[in-house]
Amino acid sequence: MKRTMKRRLFAAGRFFLLGIALFVVGFPMYWMLITSFKPDHEWFTWPPVYWSENWTLDNYRVVWAGIGIKPTAQEATTMQKPVQALKHSLALSLISTTLSVAFGTLVAYGVSRYQILSDRRMFNLLMLRMVPPIVVAAPLTLYYSTLQLLDTLTGLVIVYVLTTLPYSIWMTKSFLDEIPREMEQAASILGAGRWRTIWEVIFPLIRSGVVATFLFILILTWSEYLLALILSKVDVVTLPVQLSKYEGTTEGRVYGYQAALAVGVTLPLIVIGCFIRKHLVRGFSFGMIKR
Amino acid sequence: MAQALPTRKAAPGFTLFKWILLGPLFGLLLFILPAFLLQLYFSFHSWTVYLGSWWEAEFVGLGMFIEVLMDSRFWWAVLRSLTFASLSTLGSFAAGFGLALLMHRPFRGHGLLYAVFILPMLTVPVVIAYTFEMLLFQRGPINGILSVLLQTDVRVTWLAHPAIAVFTVIMLEIWNWTPFVFIIMLAGLASLPPELDEAARILGASRWRIFREVQLPLLRPVIMLALILRFLEAMGEFPKTWGLLQGGPGSASETLPVYLFLTTWQYFHISKGAAMSYLVLIFTIVIVLAGIRLLRKEKQTIDVIYRKPGEEA
Repeated sequence: MKRTMKRRLFAAGRFFLLGIALFVVGFPMYWMLITSFKPDHEWFTWPPVYWSENWTLDNYRVVWAGIGIKPTAQEATTMQKPVQALKHSLALSLISTTLSVAFGTLVAYGVSRYQILSDRRMFNLLMLRMVPPIVVAAPLTLYYSTLQLLDTLTGLVIVYVLTTLPYSIWMTKSFLDEIPREMEQAASILGAGRWRTIWEVIFPLIRSGVVATFLFILILTWSEYLLALILSKVDVVTLPVQLSKYEGTTEGRVYGYQAALAVGVTLPLIVIGCFIRKHLVRGFSFGMIKR
Repeated sequence: MAQALPTRKAAPGFTLFKWILLGPLFGLLLFILPAFLLQLYFSFHSWTVYLGSWWEAEFVGLGMFIEVLMDSRFWWAVLRSLTFASLSTLGSFAAGFGLALLMHRPFRGHGLLYAVFILPMLTVPVVIAYTFEMLLFQRGPINGILSVLLQTDVRVTWLAHPAIAVFTVIMLEIWNWTPFVFIIMLAGLASLPPELDEAARILGASRWRIFREVQLPLLRPVIMLALILRFLEAMGEFPKTWGLLQGGPGSASETLPVYLFLTTWQYFHISKGAAMSYLVLIFTIVIVLAGIRLLRKEKQTIDVIYRKPGEEA
């Protein structure tokens, strides 16, 4: 009797705590979503509008389609950009992710099968990710401007590939390590060369792992902010940088527009993240924890 | 751990094969190298964008480094970064581990809750900054909810009061990265052998004792991994701090990355920025190397825990 009471209390406590956590996590997301559907007079009211009765798609229209209600000169220029930023963000993250995963898989294969990099070097590679990019940002800007790479997609692709390589190498390596090496021995006995073994034997076996790695790195490149902020100016705009430009001319930040853009930026990542949720641990822990 | 394939290592063409695999990586590293050399140049010469061509800058020897080291603002930024990183690491660890403990046994709605709890980690950091700006402004919903709960008019200035603003950015970092600790600890808990738990229970150990004396020691490598990775990432945090407060109010939330950014891109003091960058680079490399050393040690234990049946030792 006493035991069941205690157990019930335990369960109740657990759901109470989980409820709080749910609120803490969910409310900001909810607020972002609801603000994006609010008309402009409800952005700053007190008490705040928790549930809007006047749902509207105006914010989305203004931000994504460029149909402004009252476009003052300044607002009109910022509003043209999101579509361009979307294109640039897509191109940038897709290209750099593809390259990063391709290069990373090659290195990972060499390390997994032939130890072409020692254990120590593999760990030192993590520095590419761990040392914050801001420490080389200034000279990088000057270096890029002499090479005419400033404000170009190419320039950003290069640094994105470099900073994500530790993830792609470590993650694909963790998938490769799970493939028994008898596969290669068999392939070699049957007379397949090195490249053919990689392409026709190993790659099909780790394909799902490579896809997971690709999507994981896509999350990282899509949300990158600092390097994009520094190395791009006018010609190249990415969505995270575009987002910081929603400072209204007179009335401070334009919350509704900003939220409508934020929802658009975040949604793809949430879809991808839930799709590869089983592999997120592996990704964020550099493949050290597999599940 | 895994053996190389020795017969093929000596085979003809292996060197070429190896360099094709490593080529892109080394190519990129070589490509970026001149940036570091340029930085070295700038830290020994005095140059700001207001002066003429950078290659004619005046040589000042260690002058720039001394200027940075004498700069009290720099030391405050160091202190702030360390505080920010350690407090946010501890905070997200406590919250994440707590959540993982609440969630490690399946129940109805488990999958849905899991999906919700990983959301912050998937949200773009700048989006987090701006969303929280909406939430935290003085007449915003957070104060609104607090007002309703406490039945008084709450007017906490989350973003404008120096002492509170520091707390706010730490909370933001915790909110953002609790899921990271959560998923890692959940994986750690799932890997614990259930027999140990059962054995201890049959021997009459209490829940708390099982947790402290059986589970916690086994989880140590995973805990270390979570803490190290989190701390290192927090040291370089920029988008949220910058997006929300730009180092302000005053210089209350000015961490090292923010101060570096300000020096270089707002004050255009390229040389000072470069010298500072070098100091920060050395400083971070020391921390990162220490972290990596620890990681390497823990990785060996982790590999044993996560070895799949049938995988070779």
